[in-house]
Amino acid sequence: MRYFAGVDAGSRAVKIVLLDADGVVVERGAADQGAAQVPMIDALYARMLTEHNISPQSLGGVIATGYARNLVTMADTVRTEITCHARGVRHVVTEARSIIEVGGQDSKFLRLSPRGGVTDFSMNDRCAAGSGRFLETVAQRLQCSIDELGALSAASMSPAEITSTCVVFAETEIIGLLAAGCLPADIAAGVQGAVARRVAGLTMGRVDEPVVFTGGVALVPGMASLLAREIGCPVLVAPDPQFTGALGAALLARSGANSEL
Amino acid sequence: MSDCCAVSKGAEQSLACGADQTPLDWFEHMIDNCLEYAQDAQASGHPIVGIMCEFTPRELILAAGALPVCLCGGSAAMVEPAERDLPTNLCPLIKSTYGYHVKRENPFLEMASLIVAETTCDGKKKMFELMAQTRPMHVLALPQKQDDAGAAEAWYGEMRRLKEALETCFHVEITPCALREAIGVMNRERRLRRDLAGLMRQENPPLTGRQLLQFKSTISGIPADLAMYKQALDELRKSTARDCLSSRVRVLLTGVPLPHEAERVLELIEDNGGLVVCQENCTGLKPILDDVPEDAPDPLRTLADYYAHLPCSVMMQNERRLQALRKLAPEYRVDCIIELVWHACLTYDVESTRVRRLAKELNLPYLRLQTDYSPADSARLAARIQALFEMTRDNAQAGHTQ
Repeated sequence: MRYFAGVDAGSRAVKIVLLDADGVVVERGAADQGAAQVPMIDALYARMLTEHNISPQSLGGVIATGYARNLVTMADTVRTEITCHARGVRHVVTEARSIIEVGGQDSKFLRLSPRGGVTDFSMNDRCAAGSGRFLETVAQRLQCSIDELGALSAASMSPAEITSTCVVFAETEIIGLLAAGCLPADIAAGVQGAVARRVAGLTMGRVDEPVVFTGGVALVPGMASLLAREIGCPVLVAPDPQFTGALGAALLARSGANSEL
Repeated sequence: MSDCCAVSKGAEQSLACGADQTPLDWFEHMIDNCLEYAQDAQASGHPIVGIMCEFTPRELILAAGALPVCLCGGSAAMVEPAERDLPTNLCPLIKSTYGYHVKRENPFLEMASLIVAETTCDGKKKMFELMAQTRPMHVLALPQKQDDAGAAEAWYGEMRRLKEALETCFHVEITPCALREAIGVMNRERRLRRDLAGLMRQENPPLTGRQLLQFKSTISGIPADLAMYKQALDELRKSTARDCLSSRVRVLLTGVPLPHEAERVLELIEDNGGLVVCQENCTGLKPILDDVPEDAPDPLRTLADYYAHLPCSVMMQNERRLQALRKLAPEYRVDCIIELVWHACLTYDVESTRVRRLAKELNLPYLRLQTDYSPADSARLAARIQALFEMTRDNAQAGHTQ
């Protein structure tokens, strides 16, 4: 049996998807990023192979993506997150025409042709506003986890106005709001709204439906509906959104190997 | 990246044929060459005149017996010193130029007897105001609606006033004959650089976009430079094509200029699988697309007409830039368009919407990169460039299989 792997070495976590020769997902694995990225990626990969009794020689192709893609030692080739997310999302939502991906340190907007090719894309600029890092910083300040942030903001009756577009300044703004007696729930809701607005700005009003929301931030409760409100159309959350990049990379590895046969 | 190094070595070898010093070597030392030339010229009584923009007619300065030296800053190190007086959120080209002024580290600026500036954009205008407090400056008021009744006459008036200012400053008379001669020199320089750029039209160009960008000089009209352009052109025309360049994605780079030392984005494009075959900007083809007629009865008016029509984003309506892009894209058989916008360059930033629409109309993938001189975002820019190339290749492949 031949297998294929996609390794998405992102800013906050490494995600790996293993496919069999038929393109069926054998295993998904993830681990938090740290300072020593190479041994961490190697260990996750080795553990996944061992658990399924797969020898490294039976891998027919490995593609790496994500900002640390060039550190992935077992990869045969690298592709950008843009191409990989497009491929992964089209696999799980075949009719997708727009993709919004919000990850740890950046966010992206992609438009696809009816055949699935990327026709254009935009990414956030130098700062982390409109990314998972923003939500994480706020959650830390509000002493909750990023997963609890959604539940917290759901309780808000009057979301706070967060206008800073820089994470560091937004934190200062939040400290000010807390000092003025603003409820954590209102701050959480305000921040989620700010992230959604920022991400929606990337689309510049050029959204083709259906729109698929992917990346780790798609898992945060409430984000999809806020995003839908901002861009003015329904937003589908991709199944296992944190893995669509790795899935796309694995699928590209498989189709690349097949086209060589 | 390995093939990139191989390419530059190959091209250098080809350019080395039959000469001790290759043209690429010569322009590698462009700043030193210019400095030596300027010092010698100054010692023999030729003043140095700093210029800040392609709208300034170098011909008038040459005809006054002076040397036109471009003072646009490309150094990232000069940005921070400028922030003593200038806002953080300002174009890096303006800040770097001003940083040199503050630090007194641009030898050409220190040698300049006069600076000819112009009212191209608001940031530059207000920076010039500060600079003019301690340096001799003549400012050209640039009409920004090129085709309006009166614009041509106003700009002609500016040319006349510049001529008078140069004559007064340097106690010379700029004769029509001297002006025609200077136009001839500049036409020759423009033609040589345009022909070098034209080599990129080939399926397998004999040089990279980065090497092409090297073929420029901060002082115009240096005879040795012109000889080297000519030598490079002769050698490159004869050199064999490089197959490794033919597999690269052919890029049309448009937008802001890349002054000396600010070549990072072009390098990122070529280090990530691209070949910049066409540069539609002020350090590329934009100011050298045409010649100035040499036998007109009033050379000053001819000059005014020529310079008034540069397709800069400060112009309204800047249809000429779109027309140029429309012509250049098929001529250089480009696969995609990358637009570079310096941070806080409002005019190029806003105009990028029109370029994006044009790219869509031409069915060319388009990417807009906004950055400054700091290398902090190089990895992020590289990811976007790679994604553009993947998209370009995938779409071309899908087009073939359709």
